[in-house]
Amino acid sequence: MTNIIDLNIKEKVYKNKKTQLSILNNFNLKVNAGEKIAIVGESGVGKSSLLNIIGLLDIDYNGEYTLLGSRTDNLHANELAQWRNQKIGFVLQESALINSLTIEDNIKLPLLYAGSGKFFFKEEDFENLINAIAIKPILKKKPLECSGGERARAVFARGVIMKPQIILSDEPTASLDVENRERIVNLLFKMNKEFNTTIITVTHDLEMANRHDRVIHLERSR
Amino acid sequence: MKIFKFFITKIFLRKAILSISIILLLFMANYTTFIATRSILSTFQGYQEIKCMNQEGIYIANLDPDSDVDIDAIGENGTQIVYDYLNNNFNYAFYTDGFMVSLPNIDDMEISLCYMNEEYYELNQFELSQGTDLDFDYQFDKDKEIPILIGKGLSKTYPVGSTIKIEDPVLEQPITLIVQGVLKQNAYHSNFYALNSKNYYNFSIFLPVNAEFIKNANIDLQLNGLMDIVILQTTKEKTVDLSEVMQDNLGLKFNFFSQEENFDYFKEYYLYSLKIMSITTLILLVIITCLSIWNALVSIRLMLRDFTINLLVGLSYSKLRKIFYSYFGILFFINLIVIFSITAYNRYECWLRKDATFATYGFFGLIGMDWFALLVVFLSDIIIGKIIVENMLRKIKKIPISLGVLQ
Repeated sequence: MTNIIDLNIKEKVYKNKKTQLSILNNFNLKVNAGEKIAIVGESGVGKSSLLNIIGLLDIDYNGEYTLLGSRTDNLHANELAQWRNQKIGFVLQESALINSLTIEDNIKLPLLYAGSGKFFFKEEDFENLINAIAIKPILKKKPLECSGGERARAVFARGVIMKPQIILSDEPTASLDVENRERIVNLLFKMNKEFNTTIITVTHDLEMANRHDRVIHLERSR
Repeated sequence: MKIFKFFITKIFLRKAILSISIILLLFMANYTTFIATRSILSTFQGYQEIKCMNQEGIYIANLDPDSDVDIDAIGENGTQIVYDYLNNNFNYAFYTDGFMVSLPNIDDMEISLCYMNEEYYELNQFELSQGTDLDFDYQFDKDKEIPILIGKGLSKTYPVGSTIKIEDPVLEQPITLIVQGVLKQNAYHSNFYALNSKNYYNFSIFLPVNAEFIKNANIDLQLNGLMDIVILQTTKEKTVDLSEVMQDNLGLKFNFFSQEENFDYFKEYYLYSLKIMSITTLILLVIITCLSIWNALVSIRLMLRDFTINLLVGLSYSKLRKIFYSYFGILFFINLIVIFSITAYNRYECWLRKDATFATYGFFGLIGMDWFALLVVFLSDIIIGKIIVENMLRKIKKIPISLGVLQ
């Protein structure tokens, strides 16, 4: 198996005028293609910060990061955006939708940035996706007109529409009932099984975490 | 284009109050710049014109604001004595206008007659588009033709060489005029002591006057001509004597201002007001630009979630910069179109009102100074746009775009 993520963080520092907070000190992470990893830890320990770094949202840290065989510090800002668009999918909480857009427009948002030529998207794939997650009836609705479970599935659909190699999932089931939580987790794992997609999930839910191949416990730096 | 359309319709125009207020603020900035530039330019043009008159040894008459004015008490005898005194002791430039006559023309405008003597004509160096300069050595005879210059608006109806018969309002008798030349389009005259206001000569007739003509004219021409009379190659003492003659015979007190006094006046009133106008415009521009930036940043704050989601799924800062520039580019373009339309309509309105003194010819209705002011607005837009967009991006980059924003 090959490492698609090879991350060595010496430290990530948050500064303001008065204080300085250092997290993720000497943190190393290697992830194989198709692996399912859960990241757990108490609040403020740096789980979301880690996801920001892995997801190429945050490049301001001390360390080295090789993603899919490329050093990320060699990538231009436009390339980072392109990678976020095509190689990484974000599956977030059900509130991470643009309320002024319909569910369909929210799901298709990544297609806007895909450009032409490099990415070929078939309408049939979209049909298959919405059928698989059963959200066809709400496509023309706005997010606030939908239930939490429906919104969570829409967020999931947006995260996977580009068939990314890596899915970063941040508390995707935090505000969902048991039935909807199961649905989302099953959909994530189905992606992993069918497309060998790497899944990295940040969660507080230990039961959910234990269903992953590996669980990483983040602790506060001493 | 798809991304841009998405941002316009779904992000920028979503918060109606913020969008409208930013559009209004930018329009205010543009309109203020336009009006100030045009006003400054018009004053500068007036100043250039007056510079021909305002030379050493030249004194320009100005009715004293405190002088008692009883026009009815002034007789032709009084004005004639003054002109005799002028003819015997001075060289002077004579000009008066505003005498309207009805004359058939394709634009159906009232025609303004402008009377001037050779000295005034020489000083002003009017440019012609056709024909030859005015001839002042004609023999004043009721049966003979008087050579004239006409404005561009009359040139189709009355080409060079054609004759015009009018009932002259100052001679109070019919006279025949022969067109000797056509003035350059949009030739103008600025008021000596209101430099930013001007009358256009497109529908005017220039009538050359000499001492004999003035002698035969009625008191209206004689008195109006004295109001702005320009005394050449003279001294302050001589103008004081002239002022006394005028006071004695007309009952009006005239001041004669030297070059230095006129410059002081321009400095006091125009240079100072131009400085005030420029500084006020600049301060207004800075305030409006700051308000626009603040407004734009408030919009960004309100739409931070939406921006974050877009950044997550593939939006880059460079793409965002292009979107911002395109958005503000479109706003500024709309502003320029609106200002252009307002100005063109104002110019066109003069034609609708048959207002001969303000009717002008221009490219798409706008004359040179309008286009210049639009160019200044365009350049200021580039600066304002760059300041707003770069500040917005700087602020956006300072906001940590992270998954935390969405929780």
